Amino acid sequence: MADAAAPDIPEDLAQVAQEKSIPLELVRRAMALGFPVEAIKMQMSQPGVTAEAAEQFIAEQEKIRGAGGEISVPPELKAIADEFGWPEELVKRALKLGAGVDMLMNQIKAGIRPDQAERFIEQQERAQQGGMEAALDLSWMKVPTEWGIRVRPGKKGLTVGMINVGTYADIPDVWPYHTEMPRGAYPLAGIPTMGYTIYEKAELWADNCADLYEEAIQRRWRPATDIPWDTVEPLPDEIEKAMCQVCTYLCEKGLLAGDVVGKWLPEMSYGYHEVKLYLSTAEFDYARQFEIFRKRALSNGGGMGMQSPGYFHRAIIDARGWTETSAVLHILSNSFVMGIYQLGEYTAHNEAESLIYRLCMQDVARQLAYGVQHLKYFLSRHQDRRAEVHNYLNKGEAIFVFEEEKDTPIKEALIILLGGGTSGEQVADGMSKLEYFRTRWVRDYLARLAAAGLPDRREKIHPSLKKYVQQPEKTEAQAA
Amino acid sequence: MTQGATTTKATFPSVEWFKAISAIVNDDPGYNHIGTCDATVGVRIPDLEKNYLLTFEAFEVSDVREVTPAGAEDTDFWLEMPYAKWKEMLENIKQNGKADLHHTLNTIDLEDPEGFARSHDGYRRDAFYRFNQTFQYFFDSSAKIDTAFV
Repeated sequence: MADAAAPDIPEDLAQVAQEKSIPLELVRRAMALGFPVEAIKMQMSQPGVTAEAAEQFIAEQEKIRGAGGEISVPPELKAIADEFGWPEELVKRALKLGAGVDMLMNQIKAGIRPDQAERFIEQQERAQQGGMEAALDLSWMKVPTEWGIRVRPGKKGLTVGMINVGTYADIPDVWPYHTEMPRGAYPLAGIPTMGYTIYEKAELWADNCADLYEEAIQRRWRPATDIPWDTVEPLPDEIEKAMCQVCTYLCEKGLLAGDVVGKWLPEMSYGYHEVKLYLSTAEFDYARQFEIFRKRALSNGGGMGMQSPGYFHRAIIDARGWTETSAVLHILSNSFVMGIYQLGEYTAHNEAESLIYRLCMQDVARQLAYGVQHLKYFLSRHQDRRAEVHNYLNKGEAIFVFEEEKDTPIKEALIILLGGGTSGEQVADGMSKLEYFRTRWVRDYLARLAAAGLPDRREKIHPSLKKYVQQPEKTEAQAA
Repeated sequence: MTQGATTTKATFPSVEWFKAISAIVNDDPGYNHIGTCDATVGVRIPDLEKNYLLTFEAFEVSDVREVTPAGAEDTDFWLEMPYAKWKEMLENIKQNGKADLHHTLNTIDLEDPEGFARSHDGYRRDAFYRFNQTFQYFFDSSAKIDTAFV
């Protein structure tokens, strides 16, 4: 029979008790101990709660709490608390919240520090006083960043470029934060530096990088399944060997470029996330470059060929600044990689090779596009550094030419592919075509540099490459 | 690419011909699968004095129009070759369902010392490579219509 002075049990609490088969008398005793209704309901709702466990818990709490609500700490708990430096008052607060004696002793012995416990107990006390919402601090919700942004997708969906609106479109010339804080977020004081070294926009920016990122994601392809591998058929031995040598060369180029960009990404501060996003897709492109040409080399009875001398690789990886690296890797090196892709597609022996080279062209074209636009941006902000950029290219071209002279395997492989074999006539044809293609590569390389703001590179290009430069007058005369 | 049933007839070169191809690719999941493409492309057939401007936007060819020679060149790049070469390319595509290894855009480009894809800007010309598969797919789709030649 219920005590007339006992508190009434709210209907929803009674329902939970009924569902968990907990006698209402136990609920009344819990309420009489001062536990809030919501807290009792939450405790009863926990999985595994039984009437026996509830009885044991309430009996313990009734022992701890005096008639006036005064909490007394059991001696065994006090001894453990003293040993681990827990103030008695803190233990009492925990008990008042409903912590079990055994559980509390275990927590103390497990090494929970008093200051850690204090924070948790405070949170729980707030929750008991004002409901669960009071357990949350919520001050972060008043963060003074721009709010109410509601960008809608366009024809290409919701792109990175489109969300650059309001203050989120402010891309400062110098990024002042040394942490991984995203642009537009609110900075915290005291966060350790992440060790980036590039904080100036001109040192890495390209106006097209947000678009290039989306383009790379959209136009991704899968070497394993997108290539009609079944069209690859046995080729004459010398052609397969030449093809595999080109594949080996392109594998090396992919690995190197991946290492180079991977080395520079952690140097770039987070204020320019568009660049970091695009370059992370370029990393993937380089991995795919390695993957696809290794797969081609090992799919038609051939294998890997000779390593290249690697002088030019060192020139790229040893560059001391990103703009130098980008100019040499993205424009100089990739202009010639693009040339090999064009040539590879031109000499393709089957649908698989033709498609491989076309898809690779797309990937390297994005890298060229970043390189050109970055150099253009850099020169527009640092007109006084044009001579410095020419010096980067002087060095890069010189080592590139030296490497070309030393790399007999790739040169001869290209000649064999272009000539169609190793007979005297075929070799002569291959050599003639290679010279023709070099003229085109140099033309395209110089056209890209001109677009980047270096039209005068035509006059300064390395002497060994200058012989391939078509003079405008000559072209007009030929046309006439 | 699988050749579908031929339902459209159009004469090359004409706005109608380019619009017919545009309609096919704009409704083709295979074209959509290649990914977005943003480029303006001129088409020049100097010996017929015909010039066109194709606008590739996101997942579609959004505009086709006849323009002046200057209009065709005021683009990312333009494709230029004599009418006989255009005809050879399109007949090859029709015959094979797509360009064979000797008639791809890149191959034709390399065989012409002046280039099939031309531009006044070295950066914008690279759109020919960046979206090469899109352009190849576009012209390969001409296999799906009956092309009459002027």
